[in-house]
Amino acid sequence: MSRKEELLNLLKDKLRGKFLAGSSLEDKRLFIDIKKEALVETASLLMKEGARYQMGVGYEAKKNGQGLAMVHTFAFDADSLLVAIRALTTEDKPEFDSLTPFIPGAGWSEREYIDLLGLHFKNHPNPKRLVLSDDWPEGIYPLRQDVPYDLMPPSAEEVAFRLDEAPPGSSIIPFGPFHACLHEPAHFAVYVDGEEIKGCEYRGFMVHRGIEKLAATELTYNEIPFVAERICGICGSVHSVNYAQAVEAASGLKIPRRAEFIRTIMLEIERLHSHLMWLGVAGHLIGFDTVFMQAWRIREKIMWLAESLTGNRKTYGMVIVGGVRRDIDLTKADLIKKTLSEVEKDMLALEKAIIKDKAIHRRTKGVGYLSREKAVEWNLVGPVARARGLDMDARRDHRYAAYDEVKFDVVVADSGDVWGTLVVRIKEIYEAIKIIHQCLGKLASELQGSPLAIEIEGPVPAGQQGLSVVEAPRGEAVHYVLTGDDNRPERWRVRAPTYPNLQAVPDMLLNNKLADFPIIVGSIDPCISCTDRVAVIDRKTAADRILSRQELEKLSREVRSKT
Amino acid sequence: MWLWNKIKQLTIPSRTGVVTLRYPYKPRPAPAGFRGQPVWDHTKCIGCAGCASNCPARTIFLRDICQEIRILIYDSSRCTYCGRCADLCPEKAITMSENFELATDNRQDITQTIELFMMTCQRCGRCYDLEIKNALDKLQMLGYRYDSLEVRKVIGQSTPEFEPEHLEKTATYRRPEKLEKSSCGKD
Amino acid sequence: MKVVAVFVNLIYFLLLAPFLEGVMRKLTAWIQSRKGPPLYQPYLDLLKLLGKENLNSGGNWAFRLAPILSFSSMLAAIALIPLTGQANILAHSSDLMTLIYFLTLSGFCLLVGALGSGNPFAAVGASREMMTTVMLEPVLAMLLILGTVRIGNFSLSAAVSGVAVSRGGSYFLMLVVYLLALQAFAARQPFDIAEAEVEILEGPYMEYSGPNYALLRYTLNLKRMFYAWLLVSCFLSFILPANFLFSLLLQTVLIIVVFVLISLIGATHPRFRIDQALKYYALLLILALIAVGLAVKGW
Repeated sequence: MSRKEELLNLLKDKLRGKFLAGSSLEDKRLFIDIKKEALVETASLLMKEGARYQMGVGYEAKKNGQGLAMVHTFAFDADSLLVAIRALTTEDKPEFDSLTPFIPGAGWSEREYIDLLGLHFKNHPNPKRLVLSDDWPEGIYPLRQDVPYDLMPPSAEEVAFRLDEAPPGSSIIPFGPFHACLHEPAHFAVYVDGEEIKGCEYRGFMVHRGIEKLAATELTYNEIPFVAERICGICGSVHSVNYAQAVEAASGLKIPRRAEFIRTIMLEIERLHSHLMWLGVAGHLIGFDTVFMQAWRIREKIMWLAESLTGNRKTYGMVIVGGVRRDIDLTKADLIKKTLSEVEKDMLALEKAIIKDKAIHRRTKGVGYLSREKAVEWNLVGPVARARGLDMDARRDHRYAAYDEVKFDVVVADSGDVWGTLVVRIKEIYEAIKIIHQCLGKLASELQGSPLAIEIEGPVPAGQQGLSVVEAPRGEAVHYVLTGDDNRPERWRVRAPTYPNLQAVPDMLLNNKLADFPIIVGSIDPCISCTDRVAVIDRKTAADRILSRQELEKLSREVRSKT
Repeated sequence: MWLWNKIKQLTIPSRTGVVTLRYPYKPRPAPAGFRGQPVWDHTKCIGCAGCASNCPARTIFLRDICQEIRILIYDSSRCTYCGRCADLCPEKAITMSENFELATDNRQDITQTIELFMMTCQRCGRCYDLEIKNALDKLQMLGYRYDSLEVRKVIGQSTPEFEPEHLEKTATYRRPEKLEKSSCGKD
Repeated sequence: MKVVAVFVNLIYFLLLAPFLEGVMRKLTAWIQSRKGPPLYQPYLDLLKLLGKENLNSGGNWAFRLAPILSFSSMLAAIALIPLTGQANILAHSSDLMTLIYFLTLSGFCLLVGALGSGNPFAAVGASREMMTTVMLEPVLAMLLILGTVRIGNFSLSAAVSGVAVSRGGSYFLMLVVYLLALQAFAARQPFDIAEAEVEILEGPYMEYSGPNYALLRYTLNLKRMFYAWLLVSCFLSFILPANFLFSLLLQTVLIIVVFVLISLIGATHPRFRIDQALKYYALLLILALIAVGLAVKGW
């Protein structure tokens, strides 16, 4: 009996009448419908079985007259199994039990749908506003179907996010929304005592672009990849491949093998690019600009490579549902090999120059420490988790694309600090180069002349669920697709790796020095735009309203006194 | 040890040299298959609007005036240069050029507008292209089906080998100067 | 002649200081495989800043006046120094304490301005600057006291020339201390802690703009050049020729060499944290004290 059947039987057995249905299109996915009373029970059962919480997906299932739905997805890394449990509630009493009390990592997923769908979560420890701007009117829930995608409520004056009480004896230093160490708008209110960080509150979600809402109302299946890849400025292919995989899973599409290999190559090129870029940024954040410039010099070669492969400096525009758009022929393969050998040589030289530098050790070792247990508790993913001794990698645990045919090592460190992340990410550069070489070999030998993409035949059946994971350079990215009518998904949910990692940042910051703030936040490589992708377009972002609350108050007072 | 590391760090540039490009003076040539600014070839365009309806960024707009003129406006300011339009164009009228230096303070500089003279389909009332020698045109040339007087005038003077210049010689041909101001009642 | 020397001091420093920053930038760029800005870029930057608007974001006189005070005290300090070992007219009414006083005053004005801006980042930067000053000024004082002890005269030229009078144990120990403190004096990596861009956004300089910022930048350039000059004229005074012009020329070359050193070290180090830096400064201070002790013993 496979693990999947085991779980299915266990749940059927324990939940009895509260178990509604279980289905799976693929053998590594399990979609379960339960009654909402059983949500907590099911989740705790799954957690007891060794699951890792991934994300929550809320949507309005009005079309079927079902009210509001909440999906929680869990990963069984050892068994390559992804489980999604779905519960429905009626619109007049939109309440679920909160999972946050025993899964802290679910906190944001639930807060998100308090804002966006008007759900209530019983026993949620901190049901504060997360996604919407502070002046968003009460009672308008952007992800509800009756709210148009381009709704712009009038902005209100003098509304500000209420920060938590600062610990006694500490003062607040506002990092953000615009700060040199944050490359995107996000606001950390850091409570410091002298130079020591005593706490931190995060207020983000300022780069709303309403992508998920757009996908549910405006775009079509094959337009979404081009929007999906623009969720992130760095992991473009990650999101488009991930979305395409989710749709392909939901519609039962089997794409050509050659396309899978090309996708793998693109993903690994992206990893190379991202790791080199992060290495540079990390250098910059500790004030070591030579590392910054040298890493980015190497990265530039990757960007030129991407330009030759995809037609643009970023790894954008390669993926569509059903395959890829451009081929990697032999001349391009040669170009890749040439670039990779240069990159490898340059990277070795740079690594040798910095890996034993005591000055770098002094700034990274023991900084941003988080224990393995805490890392599990916060569901950390990617290099941040691997630096804390968690041996997990979606490429190996949930094989997708062509990763089942390539050999590579999962790099794990156990120092639990920024230094561990640095080592993991540097080592992964060489692993990525290894993977690309293997893929190129396969492309040249076995897969000559196979097609690049296949068309979606006929309309995609509505109401199918697809769940896909891709190991982005920063960690595991999860996409959930619920197919709908009108040639577009009814719900498409993106969970970028920064989403769980960022939730753990306040814990990482605790009792560190203020000077280490940039590198600690930088160590998770926060991709704010990935995390904030949801919600409705709000052009006047909350940004200029929260940071300088006092300043703004002063400003508005001045304006008033003048008039 | 410390000194050795520092020396290693200092020797990196001696191997790589200065990598800064003399950018504005000497741009790096774009590689083959580069996705720069898309360029429409109006002589090939048949006004099918495939690009407009498949543009993920919704940056190609389409407008019909009086069912005779189809205006295609491409607004580059929001374009993501994905090249989807070029992929889908049935006549290969769109090419992704190598032009990427598109920064401007005037939006009109990067906006492309194509005005196409179309014929009205007698069956559905929508436009289709007149200036191109396609199968539908040929049918039209031979008087296969037309019952609009205006169209009859145009076609009455045309030859089986239709050329766009013939169109300009016809009495009814007048290209509106300001398309926005042209009043034709139906718009 | 002694009156002219004061102006020679000022002109020499004012003209050369931005150029030295250009050298630093160019060299740093080379280490980073970049081309870097032309050597005259700092002059253009200063000119550009002078033409911009002065934003008075602090809203008080302390914030407004601090840059000009800081700049002028720096100039005052520079006016005092014996450029090629010869004392100028101001030497009669000053001694090494006056010099240290003006240097500290210049830093102190910057602190006042930073605190006057009311910006939390500037406040953090100011507190870091303060800690650095408290730990580093004594090192500077020890250096000059060393020279004074050797010659037994409190005048500035005695203090400067006294260091290298005899090159014994105290000389070499002090040289090591000074070289180790050089980056901190120059506020370059790893000791650009008070200005740390990614942490506290240039700290004390954060709220300044236009001419005021230009003055602060100029002050920083002058300060760096002063410490480089001090290294050359304290420790290497014995190789400078007697002829004024030759001496000045050689001194300039040596100062540029010192800046090359500063750039090389700066480009190959990450920034230290303030707690790590303070421990380092404490060590320097102890070493400097030992050096003075050795000098008193006559070694």
